[in-house]
Amino acid sequence: MALLRFDASLDPIAGLLSLQDQLERFMRNPAFAAGLSGYGVYPPVNIFESTEGAIVVAEAPGLDPAKIGVEGEGRTLTIKGERVFEPNGAGRGYHRRELNEGKFSRSIQLPEDYDVSRAEASYEAGLLIVRVPKAERAKPRQIAVQTA
Amino acid sequence: MAEQQAKEIVTKEKQELAKPQEQTRPGRYYVPDVNIYEFDDSVKLWADMPGVKEKDVDVTLKDGVLTIVGKVATDLYAGLRPIYTEYNVGNYYREFVLTENIDDSKIRATLRNGVLELELPKKEQAKPKRIEVSAG
Repeated sequence: MALLRFDASLDPIAGLLSLQDQLERFMRNPAFAAGLSGYGVYPPVNIFESTEGAIVVAEAPGLDPAKIGVEGEGRTLTIKGERVFEPNGAGRGYHRRELNEGKFSRSIQLPEDYDVSRAEASYEAGLLIVRVPKAERAKPRQIAVQTA
Repeated sequence: MAEQQAKEIVTKEKQELAKPQEQTRPGRYYVPDVNIYEFDDSVKLWADMPGVKEKDVDVTLKDGVLTIVGKVATDLYAGLRPIYTEYNVGNYYREFVLTENIDDSKIRATLRNGVLELELPKKEQAKPKRIEVSAG
């Protein structure tokens, strides 16, 4: 497993390229996919790991933040939401209609190392970001060395 | 429907590396999904650009070609290591040929929850005129 972490201190282009390479490498990582509700379910998610815990990033633009629901139960994290597209004013019709509309609900099962009950969620620039801290038992501990 | 087709905004989707000028751009570019609605005095466009912040959006209208570019922010990913991924991130790029007479000095762009909203007001002569009919 690569231990390289994405380094944003690189220049923006090199940083983006390195991020894209890393995401590609872990695309649908089979070791992890077993516990998920499956590829193709909306919204698509990327899961990252930091020293503090896991970060789930879902691409779900255009949601009403008030209608986003994030629930944690056991090892399962469920994200729900609804996208409503209602342009103001009387339109004369549309030329393109490609944006998603409707409800979604997706459950993601995380490894036991994470404490889903203490997860925190935010919605930034159309990304639903859920930070799940590591469970206390999974945190690295410093072991004191005793002298005889 | 001939009349409606004349009002159609023609989409010119740019495939990766299809154009000479794209070859100098590193990284992946994605074509954002859009909704385009027409109103009496304007055309409105919504484009999905998740992960893009206001300062990183570039909208230009030149020679009837509307170009929207969104540079994705990567600061979120600092210090993170991917363990499972379903999508890649990249910048957004899409061009449209506008057949409407758009007043480019009055274009308004807003970015909300990862969706770019563009209001493209029509020039005065392009707006439909309602002729009042008086009883004789």
